Amino acid sequence: MGLQIKGLSKSFDDLLLFSNFNMDFAEGSITCILGPSGGGKTTLLNMIAGLVKPDSGSMLGFNGKVLSYIFQDPRLLPWKTVRGNIEFVLPHSEPHSQRESIANSLIKLVELNGFANYYPSQLSGGMRQRVSIARAFAYPSDLILMDEPLKGLDVKLKMSLLRSFIKIWQGDKRTVIFVTHDVDEALMLGDSIVVLGNQPIDIKARVSIDIKKHLRDIGSDYFKNLRGILHNALND
Amino acid sequence: MKIFTSRYKLISVSAVVFMLLLWKGLALYFNSDFILPHPEGTLVRTISLFGESQFLLIVGATILRGVLGFIISLVFGVVFGILAGVSRDFNAFLKPILVVLRSTPVIAIILLALIWLNANSVPVFIAILTMFPFICTNTIDGIRSVDKQLVEMAWIYKVGRFRIAKEVYLPAIMPFIISGASSAMGIGWRAIIIGEVLSQPRYGIGTVMQSAQTFLNVDAVIAWTIIAVLLSYVFERIIRLTEKRIVVWRD
Repeated sequence: MGLQIKGLSKSFDDLLLFSNFNMDFAEGSITCILGPSGGGKTTLLNMIAGLVKPDSGSMLGFNGKVLSYIFQDPRLLPWKTVRGNIEFVLPHSEPHSQRESIANSLIKLVELNGFANYYPSQLSGGMRQRVSIARAFAYPSDLILMDEPLKGLDVKLKMSLLRSFIKIWQGDKRTVIFVTHDVDEALMLGDSIVVLGNQPIDIKARVSIDIKKHLRDIGSDYFKNLRGILHNALND
Repeated sequence: MKIFTSRYKLISVSAVVFMLLLWKGLALYFNSDFILPHPEGTLVRTISLFGESQFLLIVGATILRGVLGFIISLVFGVVFGILAGVSRDFNAFLKPILVVLRSTPVIAIILLALIWLNANSVPVFIAILTMFPFICTNTIDGIRSVDKQLVEMAWIYKVGRFRIAKEVYLPAIMPFIISGASSAMGIGWRAIIIGEVLSQPRYGIGTVMQSAQTFLNVDAVIAWTIIAVLLSYVFERIIRLTEKRIVVWRD
């Protein structure tokens, strides 16, 4: 069973963003969407999330799916601690002790041990984004949407966050749709990488990578070759 | 950091000393207790007030009016502020009312209140009308300032409406309500005492100030003024301490 976008159209004012756009996503894997900045990738995610209504077309398999969203900004509640922010999204039908133990285990996974009682204002940008990732995984979702969550972080921080992400993801293999403009991020995370073109948006290229994420060496020839293909499609 | 804090404290203390010296200088110049009594005598007078049999009754009556007026304006200010922050229609309705309230001279409201109400309720009424706009306006600003992205986040994670109100909106507007409450209190005490001076309830700081003025007890007028300033200061501290306890996340 996959997720499918069929015949999607969407325009804003006079700008036709999508016209009869089709795309599918494999479940239990990470699909990376590459494309020029400001090209409508966020709109695509927002349509998947139900925040924006498409003009026409259908989303097959998305109905009833529970979503987590990792935004570009961490979007943490300033008045809640790290633990409080994660517990905030957990269904309150579960007892508090249960929510607390879920939050604690995710805090450990994103390597924020000892920071559970810190407020966001006391954390660095990278740490805040870790909390946002922890929140997304703590939430019992079927699908995680990510909108350039690593934008603006330095390379070292990016890499360490990506490694944490991979580690957590391998624990539960949730379906992820990851929007980015950074080819290396896509090469590290993607089971499948899709390059989008300009408006009206179409798919310029699609590649699949079978190598396990924690074994990938994106400096190798195999990845150099893929990088070339993706760059070409992006600059097309 | 510590050096700087104590440095500023020192400067603030010297400002108080400056005011006392200026007072003393003027008192020496006029050389008349009917115009300006000496500071040390007045301070003794102030302290002696605490021992007077009716002191607690007088100050208590003023505090009671202040607190009553404050609570009423807080409740109405927050409720109306939230409604206006949520509904543009209600905001359009409330706006002219707030403008009128804020620009009407306090004395005009007092003169009317003196006709309509009894001596005890005039100061409370004045206090409500002067404090309410501050709290209400700040609450509206608070609601407006709530980060829509946080609300969207909560919505995506399917957090219920009640919890969004309680855990996203309320903490976001709390600092606004507190700062509104603080400015309201500052203005409120003054309004209450003016109200008491003119309406002459049986007990009240304004009442005793008025009678002291009638008998040219200038030192008593100033002594009660000092009590009023202290009162205002104590309540300002209480509000600031409450803020520190509630708004713990800001550093």
